[in-house]
Amino acid sequence: MRWFIGTASTANGILLFFRMIQSEPRGSVAILRFDRADKRNALTPKMLGSLASHIDTAGSAHAIVLSGVGEAFCAGFDLSLCRDDPGVLGQLLAGLSRVVRLLRQSPAPVVISAHGAAIAGGCALLGGGDIVVTTDGAKIGYPVVRLGISPAVSAPTLRCAVGDGHARARMLDSGLIDGRRALAIGLAHECVATAAACEARAIAIAEELAAKPRHALAYTKRWLNEIDGTGRDDAYGAALEVSQSLVGGQEERERLEQLWMNQAR
Amino acid sequence: MPLATLDITDRVATLTLRREEMRNALSIDLLRDLHAGLDQAAAAPGITVLVLAGAGKAFCAGMDLKAVLDDPAAPGILLHSLADLTLKIRALPCVTLARVQGAAIGGGCGLACVCDIAITHADSKMGYPEVDLGVCPAVVAPWLVRKIGAGRARRVLLSGGLMSGQAAFDIGMVDHVVPTAAELDAAAAEIAKRLATGGPHALRATKELLNQLDGSDDSSLVKRGADLSARIVGMEETRTMLRAKLGK
Repeated sequence: MRWFIGTASTANGILLFFRMIQSEPRGSVAILRFDRADKRNALTPKMLGSLASHIDTAGSAHAIVLSGVGEAFCAGFDLSLCRDDPGVLGQLLAGLSRVVRLLRQSPAPVVISAHGAAIAGGCALLGGGDIVVTTDGAKIGYPVVRLGISPAVSAPTLRCAVGDGHARARMLDSGLIDGRRALAIGLAHECVATAAACEARAIAIAEELAAKPRHALAYTKRWLNEIDGTGRDDAYGAALEVSQSLVGGQEERERLEQLWMNQAR
Repeated sequence: MPLATLDITDRVATLTLRREEMRNALSIDLLRDLHAGLDQAAAAPGITVLVLAGAGKAFCAGMDLKAVLDDPAAPGILLHSLADLTLKIRALPCVTLARVQGAAIGGGCGLACVCDIAITHADSKMGYPEVDLGVCPAVVAPWLVRKIGAGRARRVLLSGGLMSGQAAFDIGMVDHVVPTAAELDAAAAEIAKRLATGGPHALRATKELLNQLDGSDDSSLVKRGADLSARIVGMEETRTMLRAKLGK
C-alpha cells in the first residue's frame, strides 16, 4: 500500500505517487491510475480527495485517461473503513460525487480503462468518462442495494450513458453484468480481451483525441454536458442527498454488520 | 432551377437536395430552397411520409463552410437556417425517412438524424468530423443525442472522423442498412410504402408525444446550438484553421 508521497522514473517521464493515485504525464495526455492493486483499488476518502486534485491539474492536458493498476479498475468503496466510523461512508459518497462531477466538467475529454471490475463506486466513475473501454469478462454494476446503500449518487450520469430503462435496471438489481453486456447497453464504448489491452486502447483513444483542436473539443464537451444536464452542479447534489439520507440508518448498519461478520468467518 | 425539389406521389412526398456538383453541401441558398419545399409539403393535404433524399452520389457532404468564411454575418445565417430547418422537419406531422447514399457528413448527418427513420448502405460514409476542423457540432448534437442517447453521442461527437453505414447502423444512428448502394432506392421505397399505410392521425399523435417526451418540441436548445456554433466559426483561430483545412 502506498501511503507515501514519492516519485519514480519511467521511460516517458516522472511518475508521481500521492495517496494511492499515480499520475503519469505522457505527451499531452495525463494518465491517472488507482494504485491499490492489493485491494482491487477499493476507494478510500483520501484516494478520492487526491484524485479530485489530480483531475483539476490534469484539466490542462489535452486528454485524461483514468485507469487502475492491476487486474481490476476499481472494486468500489473500501467498506471496512466504515466499521468504526459510520461517517466515512458519507465522506466516500461525497468524494465520489465530486470526482464524477470534476471528470465530467473537465475541459479535457476523459477516457476510462474499466478493466476487470467496475463495481459500485467503481461503476459510478464510468459515468464521469466520455469514452469507456472495458474487458470481455469485466464485472460491472451496483451490488449495493442489498447492503442498504443507494446508488442514487450515480443516477444523473448513468441515465445519460445508458438511458432511463437500463439505468433503472442496473441500479435496482444488485446483479453484475459483464463487459460485453456493458458494451451492448452503451455503458462501455469498446470491449477488449485483457486488462493490458484495455489500458493500452484507452491511451490510444486519448492520444487520438489529444491531437484534435483543443478548443473545439472543450466547447463540444461543454455543450454535450449542457444538453444532457450533467454540466449543472445541482443535478449531482440532489442525487448525492438521496444516497446520503440512508447513511447511518438501521437497515444499512445491520446489513453492513452482517457483511463484516461474514467476512470475518 | 431550385436547389431542392418536392415531388408528391400518392401519400409520399420526396424532398430532394439538388446541388449535385457540390455533393449537396448545405449553402444558404440550398437551405432556403429546402425550407420552401418543406413548407409546401406541410401545406399539402394527405401526405403520410416525407422522404428526404439527395441527388447524385452523396446524400449531403455537410455545411458549405468555405462559402461563409469571408462574411462575418454569414455563418450565423447559415447555422440558424440549418437549425430552423431541423426543427421544421421534426415538427412535420407526417413520418420522415432519410435515404442516405454515399455520404452524410456533419450537418448532412444531422439531417439524417432528425428524420424519424434513416436508411443507408453498408459502405456509405457518415459522421461528424466537426471537431477535426476546429468547429463545434452544436446544432446537430441535440438531434444525435435524441437518436442514439447521450452516452454514445458523446463518443461520436468528441471523436470526430467518419464511420461506415454499417457502423452507423450498429450504434443506432440509422435504422436500416442494405449491403450496397444499388439496393438502397428499392429498399427505401418499400419502407416508405409501408409507412404510408399508417393512419395520418395516429402518426401525428404519436409523433407529437414522442417530440414532447424527448424535448424535440422545445426549439431553444437547437437555436442556442446555432449561436454557439456560429460563435466558434467566427473565432479568428477557427477561421485560420478552416482556411488551412478546406484549402482556401
